Amino acid sequence: MRRDRFLLAAALAALFSADFYFILLPKLQRRGHPERDICSCSPNSNLSLPTLETLATPQLSNWSHAPLLVYPSTPELDERGSKMQRLFSHPLYNIQTPELNPEERLLQVEQLIEYYKRKVSHWERRKKLHEEAASLANISFMEQKMTYDPDASWLKFHLGINRYALYSRDDPAILQLLSDMKNMTIVSADYTQDEKALKGACDCTQVVKPSGHHLKLALKMLNFGKAMFKPMRQQRDEETPEDFFYFVDFQRHNAEIAAFHLDRILDFRRVPPVAGRRVNVTGEVLQVAHSEDLRAVFFTSPANNTCFFSKCLYVCKTEYAVCGSPDLLEGSLSAYLPGLTVAPRISIPNPWKRSYTFSGREQWELNPFYCDSVKQAYPYNSGNRLLNIIDMSIFDFLIGNMDRHHYEIFTKFGDEGLLLHLDNARGFGKHSHDEMSILAPLSQCCMIKQSTLLRLQLLARSEFRLSDVMRESLELDVLRPVLTEPHFLALDRRLQKVLRVVQRCIRRLGQNEVITKDFIKPTVTPQTATEGKKSR
Amino acid sequence: MILLRKFRVLILMVFLVACSMHIMIDLLPKLERQGTAGCSCAHTPSEEPVRSWAKQSWPNKHTLRILQDFSSEPSSNASSRSLDRIPADRAPGPQLPGQRVDRKRAFIQEAGVAHRRPAKGSRLSALFEHPFYRRSLPPLTDEDTLFNVNTDIRFDPKAAEDQAWTGEGTDDEFSPTGELTPESYPNWLRFHIGINRYELYSRHNPVIDALLKDLATQKITSVAMKSGGTQLKLIMTFQNYGQALFKPMKQTRQQETPPDFFYFSDFERHNAEIAAFHLDKILDFRRVPPVAGRLVNMTKEIRDVTRDKKLWRTFFISPANNVCFYGECSYYCSTEHALCGKPDQIEGSLAAFLPDLALAKRKTWRNPWRRSYHKRKKAEWEVDPDYCEEVKQTPPYDSGTRLLDVMDMTIFDFLMGNMDRHHYETFEKFGNETFIIHLDNGRGFGKHSHDEMSILVPLVQCCRVFSTTDVRTAPIDSDIQTEAAA
Repeated sequence: MRRDRFLLAAALAALFSADFYFILLPKLQRRGHPERDICSCSPNSNLSLPTLETLATPQLSNWSHAPLLVYPSTPELDERGSKMQRLFSHPLYNIQTPELNPEERLLQVEQLIEYYKRKVSHWERRKKLHEEAASLANISFMEQKMTYDPDASWLKFHLGINRYALYSRDDPAILQLLSDMKNMTIVSADYTQDEKALKGACDCTQVVKPSGHHLKLALKMLNFGKAMFKPMRQQRDEETPEDFFYFVDFQRHNAEIAAFHLDRILDFRRVPPVAGRRVNVTGEVLQVAHSEDLRAVFFTSPANNTCFFSKCLYVCKTEYAVCGSPDLLEGSLSAYLPGLTVAPRISIPNPWKRSYTFSGREQWELNPFYCDSVKQAYPYNSGNRLLNIIDMSIFDFLIGNMDRHHYEIFTKFGDEGLLLHLDNARGFGKHSHDEMSILAPLSQCCMIKQSTLLRLQLLARSEFRLSDVMRESLELDVLRPVLTEPHFLALDRRLQKVLRVVQRCIRRLGQNEVITKDFIKPTVTPQTATEGKKSR
Repeated sequence: MILLRKFRVLILMVFLVACSMHIMIDLLPKLERQGTAGCSCAHTPSEEPVRSWAKQSWPNKHTLRILQDFSSEPSSNASSRSLDRIPADRAPGPQLPGQRVDRKRAFIQEAGVAHRRPAKGSRLSALFEHPFYRRSLPPLTDEDTLFNVNTDIRFDPKAAEDQAWTGEGTDDEFSPTGELTPESYPNWLRFHIGINRYELYSRHNPVIDALLKDLATQKITSVAMKSGGTQLKLIMTFQNYGQALFKPMKQTRQQETPPDFFYFSDFERHNAEIAAFHLDKILDFRRVPPVAGRLVNMTKEIRDVTRDKKLWRTFFISPANNVCFYGECSYYCSTEHALCGKPDQIEGSLAAFLPDLALAKRKTWRNPWRRSYHKRKKAEWEVDPDYCEEVKQTPPYDSGTRLLDVMDMTIFDFLMGNMDRHHYETFEKFGNETFIIHLDNGRGFGKHSHDEMSILVPLVQCCRVFSTTDVRTAPIDSDIQTEAAA
């Protein structure tokens, strides 16, 4: 009898303590952080920029460090702290790139400041015109003060672009840029360049719509930073219907956000920063839209929500409008790269491009030795280009993006520059399906950078599991949860498949053939060249 | 003893503490959050995603299609089947159709329910036994029938498939194909002959049942796209030269029209077409041509029998190895809205054709309560409460039964939730003294959770209704009274 009682008491105590530890404590901790407003679900990230500009490279990158100071530990973290933090402090993520000479940077400070000042004066001129026009037409045009800010985060981001990556691992400006995109006032909205290039021509018979048809807007921030806004088109739990071809798939805003985080975790750093945001369609888009054309696509729906549409897709009746509820609409904001006038880019067709027809097949889908012919051709016959393509295919496979028909490079860096992974909105469409054909470059060429492979192996280990690190990283975004659980699990599964493909290659050809050394182990004096030195 | 008590107290205390902590930490924030305007924050990725921000996602018509097993008995398809399911909380007995509609709607949302055929003594047959449903028409003269039976033989269309292309019957010589008694005519022709000044078909017409059966089972010999329509419709020609309008399934039964959609961008639903025919029959209007549902094999019954290049070109095989096509039209005819089978079966509605325009001219009238079909503009009747007075003074609404017919149509549309009645048609031969044909009901039954009161505006403004309709829709009418009084 007594023993029973004791047992019962023990059981109750255990239950209660478990309950307290796992459920109540985290909640309490989370509540301890005051939230900025009712609707913002992210903790106040008062990022204090490091004032001490020491030359020493911080051992622990600010990336993970800063937000974690204000971020409570969540139950899924083990006692040893955050997985993301440990990943970024791993030696593999702290290989020092060599000192950059000015040639290896994309932009010079004077050049960029000059460009920026030109933009400011241009804006001032336009503003005057607009004010006159607005007073004549009696439009409620919200005039915002623009500020010239030589320390703007987007400027620092642009200045930081170099031959190896779009940003460095421990760049506080990137964090600042993300939070700017999240919170900063939007002062102007307009169509993107590729939409303007179409000049309003709509051809409804096109099966594959040009990129200008898709619904996206260019938003300008208070400090002249620009971001591309892609609105939400699909619920988180919706999958791409099975009958959809890759070129009619939706553009998902959460895929844009998740792709940026994944690219950073893989340490590629080839995707421009993306932040989620709930945009007030009326106040932050319609009332700051300068072009008549853009104002014309806004309307109020029968449910009294503010909606707008992509002109061509609406005329062709392929897509309806997107609507706020009533004005708030979530979407992704990706930072603009430097303008093409200061930093020209070229767009190159991907050798493993798909046919973009209903039934056509490309050469690479039929010929298993396709890679041999690619290896012969310029620019894939030398240097790192082919390895970069393979990096890109691994990245695309992980997110399930079949729509990579072109990639872009900066002309300044020539053939040895980084490949930009732009436009990832068609990833993360199906969590239940792994499209092995995306991996064709890897499985046909059978080569991979050593650094990439080592990182992939690291992320497959349980203490740095990719899905856990991704989960943790995406927790920092306003639009939590960015991905649903099945997508996280799919990442792990796909990572295993990538490693298996590499293993098969190694068995067939041997390690020396498959794994290409592309960096030197971190040394005390980083003088030796690293990536891309084989070509010289 | 004391120990035991202590122990009880302890247990109680523990429970109390745990409970109160949960209330403080778990429930209160949740309640608070509910108070804020629809914004919830999921704290863990495993929680449900935030939904309130975007309800405008594009309807996903490619969700799993539940293929119903249509029995070969056309009278027992979706809508009529529901009528024999008597809810337990109501006493059996003659029931008013107005109440029935809701149940029917509810039925439309659920697909694939095992069905029983209406047995003898079902509510449907009880309804038709009711005295209200036994009024007879005035005697018909030659002036009141659309075709004179004795002369109509000449109009039997020639046995050529070109018909399907032109859609214009030509008065060629008729080549006799056996005995020429009206009983030997195909059902579609007998349906045409039966049309008169007061109705499309008579109340208990065996021909209509047989025609429905024909629509669902007859072999399809050729298919063409209908031009001029906004959404994709196919004209199907059968073995016995009858023709029907095919509307493919675009939405599943469970899907509702998204709240942000305007009435003119709504999808046309095949099940709305079918249900509208049955509703019209139950309301005893008999102004909708017979419609039957059918599972069509896309390869054998559409692709392989069409000579329409434009249609044929749009067939493709999807990544999931299903047959798909999208046709050519102005609304929703693109790869994004392709209609896909599983692997090649597609559902649709087949509506019997009315007699060819060459033989029986029809007049198209603009509905006085037509909507603006514009995102921002309002129609006249939406701003002028006395609009009906004006209508009452303009022909043809100033005499005869036309205005009352429009009221009937209004009630019919409100029951279905069809906001898209911009025009209506009549047979020219009967002049202004005839019924209105209720065509094109595909935009009804889009929202079961919303009653669009603006459809009833004609009734509210005019406050007039046929006594016969009034009796049949008594429960509805009381609603109108309150609405009008408000």
